[in-house]
Formats: sequence, structure tokens, C-alpha cells
Amino acid sequence: MPTVDTAAPATGSPARPSEPGSVLRPPRWRRTTPWLLLVLAVVAGFGLQTQLYTGQERTASTILMFVSLAVAWNLIGGYAGYACFGQVGFFGLGGYTTAVLMTHARLSFWLALPASAVLVGVFAALIGAPLLRLRGHYFAVAMLGVAEGLREVVTNVPGLTGGGAGITVPTVDAGAPTRWLGNDGFYVLFLLLAGVLVGVGLLVSTSRAGYALRAINQDEDAAAAMGINTTVAKTMALAVSAALTGAVGAAYAFQQVTIYPERLFDVDITVLMVVMVMLGGAGTVIGPVIGAVAVAFASEWLRQHYPLVHTFLLGGLIIAAVILLPQGFTTYVHDAVRTRRFSPLANLRRYRL
Amino acid sequence: MTAPILAARGLSRRFGGLRATHSVDLDLYPGQILGVIGPNGAGKSTLINLLTGHLRPHAGTVLLDGHDVTGKRPWHIAQAGVARTFQIVKPFRGMTVADNVVVAGLYGARGPAGTTTGAPAGAVGGRRSGTGAARPRAGRRTLAAVRRDALETLERVGLADKAHLAPAELSVADARRLELAKALGLRPRVLLLDEVLAGLRPGEIGPALELIGSLRRDGLALLMVEHVMSAISAVCDQVLVLHQGEVLTTGEPTAVLSDQRVIAVYLGTRFNQSGSARRTPRGDSDPSSEQSGPAPLAEREEEPR
Amino acid sequence: MARDHLMSQFLQATLYGLLQGGVFALVAVGFSLVWGVMNVVNLAHGAFVVAGAYLAFELHSWTGIDPFLSVPVVAVALFALGYLVQRYLVNLVINAPVFITLLLTFGLELVIVNGMIMLFTANYRSIPTGYATTSLALPGDVRLPLGRLIAALLAVGLTLALGYLMRHTRIGLAILATGMDRGAARLMGIKAAHVYALTFGLAVALAGIAGAAVGTIGTFSPADAGRFTLFSFVAAVLGGLGTMSGALYGGLLLGLAEAWGGQLLPGTLVNAVAFAVLVVVLAVRPQGLAGRSFYAARVEV
Repeated sequence: MPTVDTAAPATGSPARPSEPGSVLRPPRWRRTTPWLLLVLAVVAGFGLQTQLYTGQERTASTILMFVSLAVAWNLIGGYAGYACFGQVGFFGLGGYTTAVLMTHARLSFWLALPASAVLVGVFAALIGAPLLRLRGHYFAVAMLGVAEGLREVVTNVPGLTGGGAGITVPTVDAGAPTRWLGNDGFYVLFLLLAGVLVGVGLLVSTSRAGYALRAINQDEDAAAAMGINTTVAKTMALAVSAALTGAVGAAYAFQQVTIYPERLFDVDITVLMVVMVMLGGAGTVIGPVIGAVAVAFASEWLRQHYPLVHTFLLGGLIIAAVILLPQGFTTYVHDAVRTRRFSPLANLRRYRL
Repeated sequence: MTAPILAARGLSRRFGGLRATHSVDLDLYPGQILGVIGPNGAGKSTLINLLTGHLRPHAGTVLLDGHDVTGKRPWHIAQAGVARTFQIVKPFRGMTVADNVVVAGLYGARGPAGTTTGAPAGAVGGRRSGTGAARPRAGRRTLAAVRRDALETLERVGLADKAHLAPAELSVADARRLELAKALGLRPRVLLLDEVLAGLRPGEIGPALELIGSLRRDGLALLMVEHVMSAISAVCDQVLVLHQGEVLTTGEPTAVLSDQRVIAVYLGTRFNQSGSARRTPRGDSDPSSEQSGPAPLAEREEEPR
Repeated sequence: MARDHLMSQFLQATLYGLLQGGVFALVAVGFSLVWGVMNVVNLAHGAFVVAGAYLAFELHSWTGIDPFLSVPVVAVALFALGYLVQRYLVNLVINAPVFITLLLTFGLELVIVNGMIMLFTANYRSIPTGYATTSLALPGDVRLPLGRLIAALLAVGLTLALGYLMRHTRIGLAILATGMDRGAARLMGIKAAHVYALTFGLAVALAGIAGAAVGTIGTFSPADAGRFTLFSFVAAVLGGLGTMSGALYGGLLLGLAEAWGGQLLPGTLVNAVAFAVLVVVLAVRPQGLAGRSFYAARVEV
């Protein structure tokens, strides 16, 4: 159809393929190496745990949580290219579902977590059906509205959620459905969650669905002409991304014990996910991991060393990074190695007026 | 004559007050090429979009194997074996040339490897009745098999040596070839080509027409929207002329291209009457038309703009 | 008697909604302009509104100048700021995908908001004026607060003036032309980098003036920046992007929805009204209630 593509003006040097060597079936080592590395990384995570003291362990748990969140957002934002700016809504909904189930239904955490993920996934599919017809900024804004609306709803049903005063999950008394896991326990939980989510990301990147989502990202008309059911593919991507985010939110709620709408639906969490994925490299497996570790670490470091101005500095960091590395670290390195041009100043010429 | 694979009856679509296509009938037969010509804005691309489900018609029906597929979504039509190219090429920029074709193999018509003709006749939209023995239901093929087929397809269009490149690194002609390869990757029975020759140098048109001819020999039903009149007259079995969204005339290429009404539509009526009126730059450079009035359109390389 | 009371309550809410909506229109019009012309969703827009409020506040406390009289100073200062930000920051990534400009402006928002917290603390404050609490009594037991009336009149006047500027002046036409087709505008000799910077400067100046108005009729703090950005979103989407009249309709509708929602809904659920309206309008009619968007909003397939 005659779609006028004004939203994305032609750029001087467009995106490079992510896999130049994939003409033929990649050799076996190329398919198994990522999985080996993933297992090694998880094992290394267990090893690292023995070297950390309590404060560091909590920081490491936070970083691992953001790795999971970035990987989950990458499915809809990175692969499918839909700027979901309401991701924190799924995080908060997952967290509150778990908190409510554990508090009111006395459900075990180990049942509440998958239940939260499923509920959030279904919710995302339901709102995705109409909203995924929106493009670009419109989708971003609509999802932002969904997340803010969810926060208001949660705030206004105090009987269920405790309202603005927060809800406290029973963790210690005899009636607690699941005992609090302790710092060590939560470190392991977030490590395993991150491992599983990176595994999901790896599966998607090499699967049929990965091709479909990348095709949709580039051009939906052309994707549909290739026989891809774009509606189903987009909705599935959003639902899976939301369900995984909801699971992470569930774990976070239990870790925090007392949760408030302001924290669980904080739009900054969404933005951090987006920043991590974009800076690491959207639509790649390793990019969101690198971005999450780097940004979460920088954020925590700034918070501890410059507590008064850390958000100010974080903002400056985002501005600098977005201008110098708009295509993300992974893609930048890939291109630089391919074209032998290593100066990041080339980026300045790429997108400027 | 056998039954048409793809047919349109009374196909109409408006954009606001503009009638982009109005009451268009056409039939595509296996092993035949229908050329669609008409001035810019005649509704040629809209026609393709209506046939593939990228646009919904306001009136009329699209029939595939005699089944009504009007209003089916593009992916249903594509999976049923109808492939298309886009006038403005739409490569998947983040992937290699090879992976672009792999996408088609993964999601398009499913059939045994190594054939260009694709899906079973019959139901569209998931329910595959199939024709049984000739085409066992192959189901989902492995990525490796799809990759092998993609390389074969690329070889056929002459892009095998560029399989590892990014689409952005291709020339205009190669980008058109990739567009064609993506369509062929679906292993279609029907192929709708929207100006695949546009932007090609004269030397590149011959091989492209040979390829199109070989697709006809394979039994594909082809529709080609084209401005290169020599190409239309060289390969088309039938030509359909669109003017302001309506079918002006249809018939054999030689007859249609020398039809006074068709020439009038392309060059304006005054030209037709006096034989020496307003002329395009290309017309001016054509000495034959100076003396003998309008030349048959088939002798012109490009549509006058 | 009770019915009379309800009626006057309803009228009062409607009046408040319209007055508030006029200010929303001025908050949103610059946002809508930038979105429509450059396809940039400026997440820092609300931060510029608050910056305008602080500037008017500081001018008032140094010199005692009335905040409505300090509007030209605020406008010039924020225009300069906006021009520089666009010219030397946003223009650098103007051709990048949607995410990039969203992130850049979010980074800007963090810097401006936290910079203001460092300078002014996060406390709520307001600009005191002699007439802010004065109100006229209207028939039907409805009161018309003078400060809000002035703010709304100023806001609606400026919004309409911007609409006139866009259609009837050289620079306005240059901005619209660049928004419709940058390549063609460039061929006409329009310098896109300069026009974009002017557009952004204009938008930021209007945001600053809106901030000065907001500061006189209520309280403000750096934490309000996000709220103003969201109001701008909603008003712009409601009215249809890029049109000045659209921002006016959108702002008024939003003001009314908030005022009536505040009467009818329990608790703080009124805060959800704006979002509910936003999501429903986007799902049903993404081109806005009035007019057409500049950019293709919907996937056709």
C-alpha cells in the first residue's frame, strides 16, 4: 500500500546485518558456543556470590534484575521495534499480583510467581490487540498511558493493594506462605531468572519467530507479504515480553517485602530498560546484557559516590551515550570490526541534520 | 483454456474522493503473463495491493482457485502461494541478503524443497485441503533446508555472490533482484511484479526478462506492472490498460499498444489528433515520431512522464 | 435546594475545567508543534514548563515584578535555551529511530529536573500575587477566580496567536513547510537546522510562559515536570498533532474531563482520567478528534 514513510528518513549508513556469516548453516560451534557461555556465566555468578559481602550482594542482585528486565524489553522493543514505554506497568502488575496472592490468598511464592507471569501475559495480549495497530510514538505514548493508568487503579483499590500506603507481604510469621529468601536466596533467584531470560532471548534470536520479529521491525507490509502473520507475531512478542517482566516484578516485590505504587510503577524503570537495551544493542542477545550491567553498575556507583547529584549525572550520561552510540555498543563494535572504522565520531555524522 | 488461478471481479477502492481503482476485472492463468500498464496514478499499485490483501476493496471480489479470498489478510494470501514485489523495494535492512530470502522460506508456502511452484490449491488461511499425492504436506522445514533453498533462489536471480552483504550495499538493479528473490522464496504459484524493471540499465533488462520468461515456463501465473513498453510487448501474453482506475482496454500486446485510445491516454489527446503537439523530452529525441505521428508504444523505452 | 447546589457545583467545575483547560492548551501547544514538525516527542517539555515557573518566581522575588508582566523576559530566556538545545543537541540525532530522540529528551529531562532540585530544592512553592485569591461572584453561586481568568485568557490568546503566526508569517510557513517535507523545504532555500531550532525555541518559550501562568494559579515543584509532559501528550493526541487549534480543543477537553472526573470519581482516581482518555482515543481514533496527524500513526496491514 502506498504508505508514506516519513517517520524514518533515509539515513546515510543504514543498519548492518547482524550476522554476516550466516549464508550457509552456521557451523556447530557457532550454535553451541552461546549456550556454553550462558552456562559458564551462571556458574561464574554462583562463584562471584562467595566473594561478595552483603551490600555488594544486594547491588549485584539489582544488576541481575535489570539484566532480566532489559532482555525482556528487548523482545518487543529490540526485535519487533515497538517502543513499549509502558513496560513498568507489567513489572508493577506482576509485583502486585504476587503480593496480593501471597497476602490475601496465602499462596506460596513459587506458585504466585508463575501465576503473575501468566496473568500479566494475558493482560498484555488483551491490550496489545488494539494498541499494537499504533505505530512509533503513538504506541509508545499509549503504553505509557496504560502503565500510568495501572498505577492509579492499584492506588485506588486499597482494600486489595493497600493503596498508596503500600502492601506488606507476610514473610516471617507462622502464617507466611513462603519464608523470605534472604540476601543469598534472592541473589540466586535473580541469577537464575537472568539465566533463563537470556536463554529465552537466545532461542528467539535463532528461531523462526526471531526472523519474523526482525522482519516486522524493518517493514510490516513486506513482512506480511512474506506470509508472516504480523498481528499474531507482535501480540505474542508483547505477551511474552510482558509475562517475563511480570515474573521479574514478582521476584522484586517479594524481595522488597513492602511495596508501593510509586516504586513498582516508576516510569524511570521503563526508561532504564530502554536505555540499557539501546546502549547495549537492540535486537541482539548480548547487547541488553552488556547495556544492563554497564548502566545499572554506573547508576549504582553514582548513587553511592554522588548521592545528591547522581540522577543529574545519569541524565548527562544518557545524553552523551545516545549521541555517541545511537546504534548501541554491540552493533557499533560489529560495524567497526567489519568496516575497520573505529571512530565513534562517525555516529555524529550518521543521524544529524 | 484452463481456469484462472487468481481472478478479480469488479474490484474497486476509493481514497477519500479519489477512485483509485474502479470495477476492475482480471484473470491470471498458469504459464501466462498479464502486463498492466497505465499512466502514473492509474491505480496499478493499488490493484496489486488489493489482490494481495494489503488494501481492502470497497467493492468486488478476489478469487484464488475459485475460492473467495476478498478481505483476507496479506499473510493468508502469501501462504496460499501469491507473491509480490513492491514498487519501492522493501528489503529487511537488519539482515543479510540471504536471510531476507530465508524469511520467505520460513513463513511462505510450504512444500517439498527444490520446486518453485508452491502451496497446494484450496483453502486459504490455515485450513489446507491440499491436493494430496502431488504435494505431500511438508509442514515446517528446517532452517538448514530453508537456507539451501534461499541460496538456490539467489543463484537463480544472480545474487548468489552477494548473499552475505547487507541490502544497503546493493546497487539499484541488485536491490530489485533481491525484491524478486524474496517473492520467489515463497515458492509461489502467482507472482505480482510491481515495476521490477524500473531503474535497470538497458543491458540489465534482457537478463531480467529471460528470468521472467523462465518463471512462466515453470508454470507461474504472472502479473507485471511495467512502464518499459518494449518489455511488455516482448513477454506479455495479455495486456491490461488502466486509466484513472478503470480498465481502458485489454488484449494482445501488439493490438493494445497500437490502440489509439491507449496512445491518447499516454501522450494526451492533442498529440493523437495532430500528431505534432505537446511532447515529452524523450518524444522529442525520437525522430520517427516527428514524421509519422505517434509511434506505437512498444517502440518506446520508457513511459513519457 | 439540593438540586440547585448540585447544579452550581457542576457549573463551578465546568468553569474551573475550562480555565484549567486553557492553561493546558498553552502547555501542550509547543509540545504538539515539535511533535508535528520534527516527529520528536519531547519528554523534557514538562521540565521547561517548570523552568519557566521558577524563572518567573525568581524574577518576582528579586524585583517584585508581577509574573504576568515578566512573561516577555521568561519567553526570551527560554527561547534562547530551546534554540541552543535543538541546534546543538537534538539536531545531532534528529534522523535516528524513534527511541533515540525519546531517550535523548528523557536524559534532558533528568538533567533539567535534577538541576532544578539542586538549585531550588524539591519543595512546592507558588508565586504570590495580590489578585490570585480574588474572585468575581457570578450568578448561580459560581465564583470566577481572577488569577485563573487572566492565566486562561493569556494562554488561549497565545495559542491562537501561534496559530496565526504559523499560517500568516514567513517563519511560520517555513516551519510548516519543513514539517511537511524537509527535502522540498530545503530546495526552497529553507535551512532546516535553523528552522528546527526556531521551532523548538518557540515551543520552549511557550512552555515557559505556561509555567509562569501555572506558578501564579497553583503550586509547582520540579517533580511536576512529568505530569505536564503527560498532559501535553494527552492534549496533543486528543486534538490531533501539529495543529494549534487541536492543542486548544485537546487542552479544554482535558481540563473538563479532569474537573468533572474530580467531582464524580472517588479518591485520586481522577489522575487516571487523562490516561484512560488517552488510551481510548489512541485505540479508536489515533488521528485525534480534530484533524489529521502529520505522521502515519497506524499500521495499515
